[in-house]
Amino acid sequence: MISVRGVRKSFGSATVLDGIDLEVHRGEVVSILGSSGSGKSTLVRCINGLEKLDGGRITVDDFDVSHPKQLAEARKRSATVFQLFNLYPHMTAVQNVTLAPIQVLKQSRTQAESAARALLDSVGLGARADAYPAQLSGGQRQRVGICRALAMKPSYLLLDEITSALDPEMTAEVLSILARLAKTGTTMVFVTHEIEFARTISSRIVFLDKGQLVVDLPTGQFFAPDGGMSKPRIAQFLSKMRKD
Amino acid sequence: MMRYTSFTSYDFILLAQGLGVSLALFLATTLIGLFVGTMWAIIRFYRVPVLTQFITFFAELLKNSPVLVQLFLVFFGLPALAKINITPVEAAVITLSGNTAAFIYVIAVSAIESIGRDQIESARVFGLSRWQVLRHVIAPQAVAFAIGPLTGLLVNQLQVTSLISVIGVVDLTKIGNILNLRTLKPFIVWTVVGGLYYVTAKLIAYGGARLEQRLRAHTAWKGL
Amino acid sequence: MTFDVTILAPHVPFLLKGALLTAEACALALAGSLVIGLIVAALRTSSSVILSRAAFIYVDLFRNIPFIVQLFFFFYGLPEIGIYIDAFTTGVIALSIAGGAFSSDVIRSGILAIDTGILEAAEVSGLSRSVIFRKIVMPIALRTSIRPLGSVFINLVLTSSILSTITLNELTGSAKIVASDTFRPFEVYAVLLIVYASLTYLVSLAIGALHRHLNRDRMPEVA
Ligand SMILES: Nc1ncnc2c1ncn2[C@@H]1O[C@H](COP(=O)(O)OP(=O)(O)OP(=O)(O)O)[C@@H](O)[C@H]1O
Ligand SMILES: [Mg+2]
Repeated sequence: MISVRGVRKSFGSATVLDGIDLEVHRGEVVSILGSSGSGKSTLVRCINGLEKLDGGRITVDDFDVSHPKQLAEARKRSATVFQLFNLYPHMTAVQNVTLAPIQVLKQSRTQAESAARALLDSVGLGARADAYPAQLSGGQRQRVGICRALAMKPSYLLLDEITSALDPEMTAEVLSILARLAKTGTTMVFVTHEIEFARTISSRIVFLDKGQLVVDLPTGQFFAPDGGMSKPRIAQFLSKMRKD
Repeated sequence: MMRYTSFTSYDFILLAQGLGVSLALFLATTLIGLFVGTMWAIIRFYRVPVLTQFITFFAELLKNSPVLVQLFLVFFGLPALAKINITPVEAAVITLSGNTAAFIYVIAVSAIESIGRDQIESARVFGLSRWQVLRHVIAPQAVAFAIGPLTGLLVNQLQVTSLISVIGVVDLTKIGNILNLRTLKPFIVWTVVGGLYYVTAKLIAYGGARLEQRLRAHTAWKGL
Repeated sequence: MTFDVTILAPHVPFLLKGALLTAEACALALAGSLVIGLIVAALRTSSSVILSRAAFIYVDLFRNIPFIVQLFFFFYGLPEIGIYIDAFTTGVIALSIAGGAFSSDVIRSGILAIDTGILEAAEVSGLSRSVIFRKIVMPIALRTSIRPLGSVFINLVLTSSILSTITLNELTGSAKIVASDTFRPFEVYAVLLIVYASLTYLVSLAIGALHRHLNRDRMPEVA
């Protein structure tokens, strides 16, 4: 379980997260919605330990991310896919995927490599496994990014707007992979602007506004007229997003 | 005998003299190099045939060969070839000026390029003479552009002057050699000599930075 | 006034021996500079104030003191404290230390230019700091800075001529001997100038090729 309790985070005088409480259990797909600047990315970066908390506590399977020793354990349990892919430019797709399994999970090179090739194959990149990131399209790079995360066999997958740098066709490629992962029971924390897609794969949807978590509802209720939609802020956000 | 191996107060005067010789040669060759290098760049700008190609080749040769070898060529080679007498100081001035000119040339060329031929050509359309274009359009902008790389170059050229000690010019390094032989205290001698070079280099860098600031402020003010 | 390079013919084998010594010294010093440069660049970009400060002082000192002074410091100074090494070793050490200061600056800017997102991706995947440095920071920084490193190396080759002042008969040292044996200094040094210039030209060609090889993934694929 990922547990976020009373988390606060500010940059200078700007409070970006203002007392966030959130639980993500195994098997859930939780989508995080919210307008730009509401603090979604910051929340994800707090969970994977890239930002230090100013208050509150985050644990991943009971390992406290604010505790240096426990952070390493917490990080073994989650994996992150980034908006801008962040692939290692000097390594081929396979090398990108195998680096952490070999170095952190201490897998043998052959074992890690055959697992990586199988993963890449499963996302349609079997033939591009030995290409460098610069030789891949955006959609292909993000699929490598997903494989790199999955190779760590994470309990939780953190995804921060992973399709927002992609054109619609590539977005579809990537989302179809996520849909498949959701079906196989992968736990995901999914920051997105793709509302319709979030609706189809999420078990729960939370809504962030100005650093506060204003709604946390099962997907069905979130979109029901008497549920999340009853809040003007959310109705407004959804109608705006749908127009775009 | 022991007396001679210890430092005396006269050694300070020796060091000061050595530093003076280094600085004087540095300043003289910088000015000559600045002039010659800029002339080369101007010749290139006006695309003077043959001369341009020759200068480009010559500058490349100077930049890509050791200054020590250039010094030997001038000091030992020229007299043997042309049956003339060249003193160590003359050889030092010729070599260091030429070497500095080669690097100034590169900086000046890129400074002129940064201004752009278009701008210069359009100034001529307004009826300015070649000299006026040079004086009022190119020079101020080129100087503002070049001052940064120039400072780096000068810090480097100061260090290059130390090589003239090898052909017998009594500069700071040569004084270091003399004191080193007499006192047999290499660590102290070379630390002091190195320290003097270091401080001088820092002063040059500081002066360059100050000048750049003032030029920037000047151009900003003119732009209003 | 005569200019006749053919009188150098009998001395070519001797000069080649000197050139070989130059090549050896430069190759060793190149390796030394790279190792020092990497370590110092790592220290300078480290979060420890003391380490980065110490690294800065090293770079600042060795960049602002003439190489010949550094060389004499080691050549005359080391025996003073009981370290007796030959001129060749002294020269290689001095060249490596000076070259290390220049390379570290280049490598440091290569490190600072690395996209932080890439480093964050490495960090959250649980890689240790040393693995991140060895497997990600170092290779990316080295390959982006290969051209400026090439300039540092070319300078190293030119600077190696100064090793002749500590009795080492590398290329310039051998040429000095030939010049005084033949009484034809102009021919000897003119040829030497051309040889060095050609040598550095070859080095720059090799660097261009290495740059293209290391960055081959950014080129369009042939297949
Ligand atoms: N390192 C930082 N330094 C200063 N301010 C920051 C930093 N990171 C984020 N912020 C600020 O925090 C706020 C929340 O940013 P965050 O990236 O979490 O928003 P977001 O919800 O992910 O937005 P988007 O949908 O645009 O990605 C923004 O106002 C942003 O400017
Ligand atoms: Mg964001």
